[in-house]
Amino acid sequence: MTATSTLYETRIKALRATKLEHTEEKLARYGSFDVDDHGYIPWTEPIAFEPVSSHPSGGCWGMKDIGESFRRWLEVHPVYIHPQSAIAGAWVYKGIPGVAGFELAEGMGAPDSPKEREARTLANYPRNWRPEDRPTHLYEKLVAYNTYSPGIGHPNHFGPDMTIGLSLGWGGLLEKVRRYRGLNSPAEGAADTTFYDGEENLILGMQAWIRRHVDHARAMARLEDDEATRENLETIAQINEHLVHGAPRTFREAIQFLGWFQCIDRMWALGGALGQIDELLRPWYEADTGSGRETDESIIWQLASLFFNDSHYSQIGGQGPDGRDLTSRMSFLVLEAMHRIRIPVNVALRVHDGMDRSLLRKALEFMAADGTGVDFALSGGLDEGFMRNGYPAGLARMRAKVGCNWTALPGTEYGSQDGTRLCLATPLLLAIDDALAADPPAPDVATMDALWQRYVHHLGLAVATVKAGKDIHMERQADNYPEIVLNLFCHGPIERGLDASAGGLDIIDLAFDGIGLATTADSFAAIEQRVTQEKKLSLAELRRHLEDDFESAEPVRLMLATVRRYGSGGSRADEWARRIAELWTSLVRDTPTERGHWTCMPGLFSHGATSGFGRLLGATPNGRRAGAPVSHSANPDPGFVPGGGVALTAKANAVASTQSHWGNTTPLQVEIDTGLMNGMGGTDAVADFIMAHNRQGGTLINMNIVRKEDVIEAHEDPASHPDLMIRVTGYSAYFSSLSREYRQPIVDRIIAGG
Amino acid sequence: MAETRGPVSGVVTDIQRFSIHDGPGIRTTVFVKGCPLRCFWCHNPEALAPQPQLQCFPDRCIGCGDCVDACPQGAHAMRDGAHRFDRSRCTGCGLCARTCYARALVMAGEVKSADEVVEEVLRDTAFYETSGGGVTISGGEPLQQPRFTRAVLAACREAGVHTAIETAGHVARDRLLAVLPVTDLVMMDIKTMDPELHRDATGVSHERILESARLVGESGTPLIIRTPVVPGVNDTVESIDAIAGFAAGLRSLVSYELLRFHMMAGSKYAALGMACPAAELTPPDDELMDRLTAAAARHAIAVTHT
Repeated sequence: MTATSTLYETRIKALRATKLEHTEEKLARYGSFDVDDHGYIPWTEPIAFEPVSSHPSGGCWGMKDIGESFRRWLEVHPVYIHPQSAIAGAWVYKGIPGVAGFELAEGMGAPDSPKEREARTLANYPRNWRPEDRPTHLYEKLVAYNTYSPGIGHPNHFGPDMTIGLSLGWGGLLEKVRRYRGLNSPAEGAADTTFYDGEENLILGMQAWIRRHVDHARAMARLEDDEATRENLETIAQINEHLVHGAPRTFREAIQFLGWFQCIDRMWALGGALGQIDELLRPWYEADTGSGRETDESIIWQLASLFFNDSHYSQIGGQGPDGRDLTSRMSFLVLEAMHRIRIPVNVALRVHDGMDRSLLRKALEFMAADGTGVDFALSGGLDEGFMRNGYPAGLARMRAKVGCNWTALPGTEYGSQDGTRLCLATPLLLAIDDALAADPPAPDVATMDALWQRYVHHLGLAVATVKAGKDIHMERQADNYPEIVLNLFCHGPIERGLDASAGGLDIIDLAFDGIGLATTADSFAAIEQRVTQEKKLSLAELRRHLEDDFESAEPVRLMLATVRRYGSGGSRADEWARRIAELWTSLVRDTPTERGHWTCMPGLFSHGATSGFGRLLGATPNGRRAGAPVSHSANPDPGFVPGGGVALTAKANAVASTQSHWGNTTPLQVEIDTGLMNGMGGTDAVADFIMAHNRQGGTLINMNIVRKEDVIEAHEDPASHPDLMIRVTGYSAYFSSLSREYRQPIVDRIIAGG
Repeated sequence: MAETRGPVSGVVTDIQRFSIHDGPGIRTTVFVKGCPLRCFWCHNPEALAPQPQLQCFPDRCIGCGDCVDACPQGAHAMRDGAHRFDRSRCTGCGLCARTCYARALVMAGEVKSADEVVEEVLRDTAFYETSGGGVTISGGEPLQQPRFTRAVLAACREAGVHTAIETAGHVARDRLLAVLPVTDLVMMDIKTMDPELHRDATGVSHERILESARLVGESGTPLIIRTPVVPGVNDTVESIDAIAGFAAGLRSLVSYELLRFHMMAGSKYAALGMACPAAELTPPDDELMDRLTAAAARHAIAVTHT
């Protein structure tokens, strides 16, 4: 190893150590947090800030107030430079205090912490909106259908095209905003310029914040004894001095620009994506390594610095619009940087039939060494699904994974994804109530038909309610919680003066995810077999056991739980799963929303919300107790193979059979034992497994490669494995940072073996 | 080969999918029941006897007592709230297991038709295609049920799926000849070349096994010879050298594999009411496995070890 590469290695280690310290501090401060371990740094000092408000409640909503508040926030936001990082900047709070519903009080908890979840009720939903705009008339139905995540008011759930920012820089973006303000409102005072004023304020705030980092870097350099570190800080000052106005000229400046974007993107709306990161950075890489300015080692360090800055979503591999494979040296360096820094990073490897297998193999080798790594976005199902909407193959190939489960055309496609989840099991419990309330009661032979009809009725009503919410979202989002950050990095919003959610973007497909498929399918199968076929108990008796949460009825619960389950292949539960998935797809996709005529894109994805939905759901006929988590996305429940095992191929077949095929995802979650992966032929077998699921029309694979013993130990004592990383669903996190209830389903999956 | 499908059935203990150590690629391994050998280190004790057997897992029992009512032989009883099982009365009918929702009573071995098994095997065709995998019939001894094994392999092959068997080779020549034409790969165990030791360790002579290996070698069907490296049986350079020397003379030999002994079947023995004779054995270490591999490789054959 050369002296230079030792220096970079040392720097990356220092970043990793700081990340672990930060996570420990955050845990001590906030308790657990069931989302990605974002790159924000724990901050304890008070920040003197007051948002602008023109609302009687004192809240801050709408572009005008938000733009001004954002600028003020950046003017007082702390500065942070890790002396061993290649770039400056970090954010300290999730959300801007007092703006768009975020708490004003200092020391607010991390979103999705238990405290936050407790506070999350429909009574003030969505909190990011003005009280008078909230859809109170929908609350009753949303509660009845256990739909506490109907996707109203969700920001940032699409992807930017970062080439816009990288080619213009902050100064260029400012000019663009001013130019279009002039074009779209030529007579001063003649039109509403609120939109542009807000964007302008954001950029001005950004420039001020960068300037303060220039000063801070110089001040740190003056006090720094170590020569190499001092030089590093001086370089940080120089590149940022340029970046206040200028567009990036070098790889490192491009990384720094992306770092700034990550900071404001997260502090605004907690979302975050960079797009096709290997292809985005490839021209800078080729230029700077070609000229001798950078080496692969320095590039790896700079990438690791970007990952330390934040765990934004990005993609490597995949295809260009013409079908050529996009794998480049940059793709491998991204993997290398992830491997070296070993902190939660959210990079997806896009898999397609003709891909460079050496990239897939390399990704798997690093996963075997690190426990987790990339996830696998599959063109097989994603492209084919998106094209069914009428889009050409070239466009489908250009979509990038930009979130936990979602994929979007960078800067062009508004999907509002990952915020809309609907519990598939709740309508079944309501259907059972209906069947028993029928007068005269449905005879046993007809029970399944009667139940299904009522199920269709209730699921239909639930979907219609959420669609009504989607219309409201599209009508009121821009005025409440505009896409002030992503508008700058999209094709259309600035040009038109319209928010991305309100006409700024051309492609709109509102994603809609079902949750708890296995819970529901296994429940239908259990009723069919034990109630209608074997007549072991009546439907009324079943409902009594459900109401009593199987109190003193363990044999009954086990009898229901041991019906052949979804995933075992060829079972009635598999049939029910397909039937439910088809119904879901049809209800979501066949009819657009009533007022806006927006198309909805169905998928089956639970994020980590299996516990949240489960907590609000009573006992179910598959033997699941009240309050226990519902099943994960479209994955069969652990132990689904007769005899209690798991077979990865069976699981993949099940998930493939329930895909919606419209361009949204229905991810496959797999846990693979380290021993199997490291054994003879393990890596090849897993690579072949991924390729086969791609061919099956799969859309996404989230994979962990873990030692079962480590996970069990870490579940009992999280402090025993502080750096154990787990892919929870579409995102990676430190296992120790998750709440016990979030950890439990992961442990169950791993114990069951897959 | 379609004429052998339909009515043919076999006794199957397990169908394991995503199996990656039973031949090339991703495979489905069908474990059949019944084996003529009695290797004391066997890790599939549930596959030794040819007939279905009841396995008891007392820690899963919830004490519901349904098995007592279900058993026509009175093999089950509840005393002081605890389940008691008299294996001498059990006929292996499986009625109790059907009522045991807690899975404390589980049958080892189920009669399945070849069609049923083939249907399950073909569910993973997508994975065989990308990995070059397929189906493997293992056991037990697949050639103890030659009609069933042939029927399953023939149908899989007809569907374009790669076929393999894992056999101990202690079978009549005609049984092997019946299955070879529908088999793409034979994996055969040779435990030791020492006749007396072989009889002591496995309960049978090795003559028939060596004869089977020669027959496969001559047939041209690709052959992998494997040796489970078991302490006290064959964990010496001399022992492995002798087997490798024999293997090197087999015309269709693809490779020789040394499989490190692991005792992973402790709970299975207890569930069947059997003693586990190899419970105290220690797996060979890496250094020994490397040394044995090097010794075998001197015969100019491809050698791997686990």
